[in-house]
Amino acid sequence: MNQTLDRRRLLATAALGGVVGATGLGSLAPEAAFAAEPATIEPGAPDPNFAEGRISRISGSMLLVTGSDTVLHSIRITDGTSIWKLHPTTFDKVTVGDGLYARGVRLPDGTLAADSVWLNIVNLHGHIAAVGRNVLHLDHQGRRIVAHVVPDRSAAVYNGTPAVSDLSLLRVGRHVQVLGAWHPDTNEIDIATVYAAA
Amino acid sequence: MIDVIAAVQPLVVGVVLIWSARVKLASPHAAAAANRSALVRLLGQHRALPAYRLLGGVELTLGALLLLPPVLRAEALAATGLAVAFLGYLAYARRAAPTSSCGCLSARATPVSGRSLARAGLLAVAGGLALLATGGWPTAVAGHPVAGGAVLVVELAAVVALSPELDQVWLLPLRRLRARLTHPLRGGSGVPLLATVQQLQLSDAYRRVAPLLRSDVREHWDEGDWRFVGHAARYQGRLVTAVFAVPLADREPDRVRVAVVDDATGQTLLNLTGARPASGPRLSIAPV
Repeated sequence: MNQTLDRRRLLATAALGGVVGATGLGSLAPEAAFAAEPATIEPGAPDPNFAEGRISRISGSMLLVTGSDTVLHSIRITDGTSIWKLHPTTFDKVTVGDGLYARGVRLPDGTLAADSVWLNIVNLHGHIAAVGRNVLHLDHQGRRIVAHVVPDRSAAVYNGTPAVSDLSLLRVGRHVQVLGAWHPDTNEIDIATVYAAA
Repeated sequence: MIDVIAAVQPLVVGVVLIWSARVKLASPHAAAAANRSALVRLLGQHRALPAYRLLGGVELTLGALLLLPPVLRAEALAATGLAVAFLGYLAYARRAAPTSSCGCLSARATPVSGRSLARAGLLAVAGGLALLATGGWPTAVAGHPVAGGAVLVVELAAVVALSPELDQVWLLPLRRLRARLTHPLRGGSGVPLLATVQQLQLSDAYRRVAPLLRSDVREHWDEGDWRFVGHAARYQGRLVTAVFAVPLADREPDRVRVAVVDDATGQTLLNLTGARPASGPRLSIAPV
């Protein structure tokens, strides 16, 4: 806990005007240093640096994932991996059975060293069929999806304006797009962002 | 009593059939409705629309015969047969083409559901009851206006309640009213992380540092008027953290700052503050 606080204090100080100590690194002009790496993926070929599927086993920092095309992936979570599960979270929240999208770097042994992992992320369109206390019932291609509003997490974007926490402008019968986190093996999701017209 | 109920059935079934025929024959969206239905799967793309129209013609004829005197047992039999056939078709559609639309009482795309099946079942039962009728519905209704009217209203209400196509007309307004009275979604407060990320991505600092970033948002925390957002990044071969400071309350992407901090040593490698004025001429547009 203290370590996190110290680290955050250090980072905050750096962002708000800390002293740049690395003048011996050559040019610090970002444009000079930030030349993009060339793309190495064949057009039309599957992206080797991406994996999706459901977690079948967790061993240490390795996730064993069964892809929806039954391909098996080994995904390594590193100190630098971002983990999203409705919001940025930590490795201990990863559980067997979670769906997953991962992006990273494919290592020579075939494992994917993940830069970013998104757990149970869904992106769906639907109509609001009914509204309850902190819950939306969505009609999604004839199926019912129960979308839970998570206080202090769920956000709404109305007409493409900046996101707000107030979801009260959502109306029954209207079309919405929802980004959220699926509850595995159910028709329920938690809402991360709902996009709607108001 | 059973006489009154039986005598009213031709009226109920006739009204529903004519309503259904109206969609198939007169709706400008009939072709689209036919294409969405399971008829495409059953008969093929080219025969779906003619079959849909033909079905509408049969429904109209039968509906008119049921409504107009004389009351013949054969009409009730035909109506029952049609309802049972429709029940079979819906069951087939639900199994063979679950994404198809019913195309029943409205051209609106409505998947076949348990309610559609229950409605077809209700019509089949109504047709069966009509077989028991001894007289025409006008005399029955004239003889027992209250009972006849009540049976009619209850049955038509049941048909409407079992029609997902008609939810738009009565169910959604009711749910809207309930939401307006109870405000079930009120209470959200605070600045969502997405608002910060949106502001961050509009900033000059982000645009300059973006090629370094390797990860999505790894952590974020608030301190005073700022929200800090950390990404894993790589800078000149080192593993680093790019930490952005974003104004929490105000939307000022120009004030977003970023530092790139070495993970191993804690040294700040780079620090960019705010926006630089754009070079070259600038067009200023004032909102009118």
